[in-house]
Amino acid sequence: MTTQRITDSPIDFAEKIIEDVKNSKEEGVLKCVQCGMCTSTCPAARHSNYNPRNIIERVLEGDETILEDDNIWNCFYCYTCHSVCPVGNSVCEVNQILKQIAIENGIGYDKLYEYMGFADSYFTAAIGAIPERFFTDIDRDVPGWWDFRQNLDEIRTELELNPPLMPSDDVIDEVSRILTITGFKEKIEKIRSTEEEDK
Amino acid sequence: MKNVPTEDILLFRSCLVSVEYPGVEASTKFVFDKLGVDYEISDKQTCCTGLGHYSDVFSQIDTTAIGARNFRIARELKRPNLVMMCATCYAINKKSVKLLNKKDDLRNHINELFTENGLEHLTYEKDDLKPTENIFHVVDILYARKDEIKNHVKYDLSGYKIATHHGCHYCKVHYEDTIGGVRDPNIMDEIIAECGCKTIGWYDHKRATCGTGFRQRYSNPDLSFTATADKMNAIDDEDVDILVHLCPNCHIQFDRYQHLIAEREGRNFRAVHLNIAQFLAIAMGGDFDKVIGVKAHTVPVDSVIKDLKEIEK
Amino acid sequence: MRDDLKVGVFLCECGGNISDTIDLDRVKSELDVEFIGQFENLCSLNGRKIIRDAIFDHDLDRVVVAACSPISHEKTFQDYVKPLNPYLMDMANIREQCSWVHSDKDLATHKAISLINASIEKVKQSEAVDPIYCQTPDEVAVIGGGIAGMNAALSLAKQGTRVTLIEQSASIGGHMAKIGKVFSPVKIAEECGMCLLNPILNELVWNENITVLTNTKVIEAERRAGTYNLILEKSPRYVDTEKCISCGKCSEVCEVEVPNDWNDNLSNRKAIYRPFGQSYPEAYVIDMENCTKCSNCVKVCNMRAIKLRGKPERIPLQVGSIIVATGHKLFDMEKRPEYGYTRYDDVITQSELGRITGVNGPTKGKLLKSNGEEPKRVVMIQCVGSRDEKPDGHRYCSKICCTVALKNANIIKHKYPDTDVLICYTDVRTPGMFEKYYKHTQENEVRFLRGRPGEVVKKGDNFIVRTEDTLKGEFVEIEADMVVLSTAMEPSKGTEEIAEILNVGITEDGFIKESHPKIKPVATDVQGIFVCGTAHEPKDITDSIMQATAAASKVSEYNYGGVEIEPFIAEINTERCTVCGECIERCKYKSMSIQNDEIYIDPMSCTGCGKCLVGCRHRAITVNGNIDEKIMSTIKGVLSNKKEGQRMILVFLDNIGYTAADNIGVNRLSYPESIHIIKVISVNRVRPKHIRYALDNGADGVFIGEFPGDLMYDEVERKIQGVKNRIEELGEDPERVTFSKVYIPYFSGLARKFTEFDSKIAELDSD
Repeated sequence: MTTQRITDSPIDFAEKIIEDVKNSKEEGVLKCVQCGMCTSTCPAARHSNYNPRNIIERVLEGDETILEDDNIWNCFYCYTCHSVCPVGNSVCEVNQILKQIAIENGIGYDKLYEYMGFADSYFTAAIGAIPERFFTDIDRDVPGWWDFRQNLDEIRTELELNPPLMPSDDVIDEVSRILTITGFKEKIEKIRSTEEEDK
Repeated sequence: MKNVPTEDILLFRSCLVSVEYPGVEASTKFVFDKLGVDYEISDKQTCCTGLGHYSDVFSQIDTTAIGARNFRIARELKRPNLVMMCATCYAINKKSVKLLNKKDDLRNHINELFTENGLEHLTYEKDDLKPTENIFHVVDILYARKDEIKNHVKYDLSGYKIATHHGCHYCKVHYEDTIGGVRDPNIMDEIIAECGCKTIGWYDHKRATCGTGFRQRYSNPDLSFTATADKMNAIDDEDVDILVHLCPNCHIQFDRYQHLIAEREGRNFRAVHLNIAQFLAIAMGGDFDKVIGVKAHTVPVDSVIKDLKEIEK
Repeated sequence: MRDDLKVGVFLCECGGNISDTIDLDRVKSELDVEFIGQFENLCSLNGRKIIRDAIFDHDLDRVVVAACSPISHEKTFQDYVKPLNPYLMDMANIREQCSWVHSDKDLATHKAISLINASIEKVKQSEAVDPIYCQTPDEVAVIGGGIAGMNAALSLAKQGTRVTLIEQSASIGGHMAKIGKVFSPVKIAEECGMCLLNPILNELVWNENITVLTNTKVIEAERRAGTYNLILEKSPRYVDTEKCISCGKCSEVCEVEVPNDWNDNLSNRKAIYRPFGQSYPEAYVIDMENCTKCSNCVKVCNMRAIKLRGKPERIPLQVGSIIVATGHKLFDMEKRPEYGYTRYDDVITQSELGRITGVNGPTKGKLLKSNGEEPKRVVMIQCVGSRDEKPDGHRYCSKICCTVALKNANIIKHKYPDTDVLICYTDVRTPGMFEKYYKHTQENEVRFLRGRPGEVVKKGDNFIVRTEDTLKGEFVEIEADMVVLSTAMEPSKGTEEIAEILNVGITEDGFIKESHPKIKPVATDVQGIFVCGTAHEPKDITDSIMQATAAASKVSEYNYGGVEIEPFIAEINTERCTVCGECIERCKYKSMSIQNDEIYIDPMSCTGCGKCLVGCRHRAITVNGNIDEKIMSTIKGVLSNKKEGQRMILVFLDNIGYTAADNIGVNRLSYPESIHIIKVISVNRVRPKHIRYALDNGADGVFIGEFPGDLMYDEVERKIQGVKNRIEELGEDPERVTFSKVYIPYFSGLARKFTEFDSKIAELDSD
């Protein structure tokens, strides 16, 4: 049995999500009637223990332990729930907000370690790229991919594609300044140092 | 239908197109040139942050500040119409424009950061861009010019069994703006019809995700490939020759991993994977190496598409 | 001129209620009128004689009764002043708004004098006018021949009213004729719908007061003083209903087969056909869109009833009232393609299931799939298109689908106990007695799953319904061989069209809007037009019939009572009017229209609010009753005995606000003596010039109150803001004017607002 104390205010958690800058659905989360249409169309619910309806149920209960639940990291961000929800909620967005809250609270760092390569290439070269640490896996799973990547410049030349892939120094400089002032750089450094500690 | 521009376009470079399927960019340019679409590419524009954003590394503020910089570049070029080759770039940029216009606190915060740090030239004024008037995907432009398509079609592809996979981030994120349906997406089916081809239309899981799921493909491959297998099985059940895409991320998932998933499922999947621009470029006579960029494909395009037959005029 | 008028003032002591607080002797000494008298209880029967005698003796032209609120006794004193015209009397409210709210005798007496002076000045501006009596023609048009329209027509006809029932299809009967069985909440059983409908249909057909016009639509409508001139268009039937004996030979020889829409296209019919077995008129009809004009039917018809040529006929119809009963249609399943309705034959709607299980349906009542086999498992999906805010969906609940699903599930279970029936629901909405039917359905072994399915696909021979079982928290794939969709009810095309033609308001969902959802549930926003059935909102047969009979009884109120209208309504000066139409746009009550190249004002709907006056560039509109002048004179009168340093606040309230203010007195609360309330027929009639005059001539503040439910509320709020801006431009303090919401029950709040406003004005004065 759980007791709902007179001083408990479960709705505060949902309110926090509603106020997040990412939320595009206004009061949508409050209008959930637990119909389950999100789950009915969810690829992650089909193949894992992720349950979008249950995410909202827990949010409305004010259950903040959800931030530590590994299941939330199974969402595909496919937005199917967002596109069909009959009451105008978006579990997909709520899920992204939950993860951002988790990260702000230092909870989900280990989920980001693998993606630090993307952060680095964006920050230092203004390029969005698949992190190199996945290259071994890709090379194993995708026959011929490594050779193709070695020949990329040739293929691009044959296709007469320009401008080149590498941004100029002034672009890189501007991008890294932006990512410094938004707090991105600091966040990445913090995650990085936690990763070192974990090792 | 909404008003889709065919001029003053900044063709937005995609990181995945650039390094995985450069033929998509070449084909888009080839088709746009044929259809008389006015566009330019900028070397100043940077990646939308997509993979970083959806692996939760980039916060909304990081992404939107990068977006504001790209929007400024488009306006300086007097090309305020951003047209994306990638569904994720489309969804991310549209969301950033919406947020910058609607959420005053966010816009003011980002503008303050810019001005306080010598980047005032990047500030974004409310309604500098409009989400429904300036932010498009290549398919929107193709759809707007679809009556033109048949005038340029050279080869008859109607003998192939064709199905479409509409990227989630084109259809579902900003569903109010999607042309051709969300629950049974058909924009590409309608464009393909202009080449004289009839797609198979609906199939099981037609509107489902490709299975990439951003982090799922790399960190959770079992889950990712199981979801993809749903769709690959359904496509193979329908005996499809060509699956047409509109997003390089889906394209990777199907083309690069078809072999692996076939092994997992114990089946032999045979469909080839083309972006809608590549499909049109082939129909319009684009060279396989110089325009379509088939060398970048893992499932050989010519394993299915060979002996092109000229259309009878 | 008007100053020469002889005014008599009658002061009522109200058995001490007034005279204990107000010094009536001082009142008498300070008034300057022809006659003044003081009486203990003026409303008692001998008051009539006192007043009448004084009118004769002193040759009075005008009367002021200083007593209680006009809301209590205006009608009484209008009667007591006979033979004077009732509108030449005015009441000064010195009880509810003076003696009951103030305790300082000196101040209360002074205020009473101000209020009486206001009435004296006002009544001098009054003219003898007569109320307008409107007798509308008692013929009625009922539009739509479904269960609602039929019942409305029948009810009126039985009360002796002539009714024309207009139906656009070839037969009356509507949806009820085809739904097969209906569910009875009392018997907890299903009954034959046609057997219930048929007696009503027969009664209607034989009633001499009813003319039924089928294949007929309203194409034009014009309104004049409660009379509607309708133009109907009757499409040719190509079969003479007088001659046709419904032998059916024509249909046998017809070579054209087309889907039968009455069977939801589940079977075919011929191009010459009878809509259904009990259709009325009892005659065949030709569907000319599909007819090849082979003439086979003409040749076999012994009655010579068939003519292959015909033209639409225009019929003028003049009626006093209209009942709109144009019904609903069902949600278009192309909007939710994920359920596969357009792809698979055995994904059907509840309506189609009704046809399939109906003994007069395509399978003669046998539940069969398209391949002729009985289904092993039927899955029903609720809320398809209802409770769905996504594009093309409806946010509302369609109300009947839960019960419809239960009914059809039971019908299946009765005949095919081995067929598994599973209803996927979000909430089972079975209020009242319907809950017992829900339990009955569970006893019949119908199964329920709480979850809203995402899609239906076909795998091999079976369908797969993908859903979450939300009570288990588990994603499930359910195999089924028949899927039934409970589709939303939405306004029919006829409902959309008639709203446009009659210019009646619609809701955001496209249904005909009632003029007030609580207290006027069958009236529309146009006088004399009523609504019933599903044209109004989703509802079941019982509710449709109840609303139909309610609409009929509202029509009878008009027909038997006539309508007496206060004469203070707008009038057009045709010499000045250029028929620009501005006033038509401005009128919130839809009173104005162009008829015979002139602006016509419908006296039944005009409220005299005066909104049209302001927009008229040619000053071609006046509102009867000198209202402008009366307000101005009232202001003059109330300010006429202002003392040096006395604070005067004028409060303008319409009937609702005035009642709230009376309630302050009735409940013996108080507010400052500076508050002087002036009753107006609409606060919109208080014009900027009035407010400026008041402020320039001694008023320290102006308070305007309006009930937010009033149609004119937004308008007035905007106007007051404009006045405040203007006052500011003139260098005055705009805070001296205030606009406030008023509600009858919230009188204590109004008293508080008066007090606060008084303090604020006091502050401004002291600055």
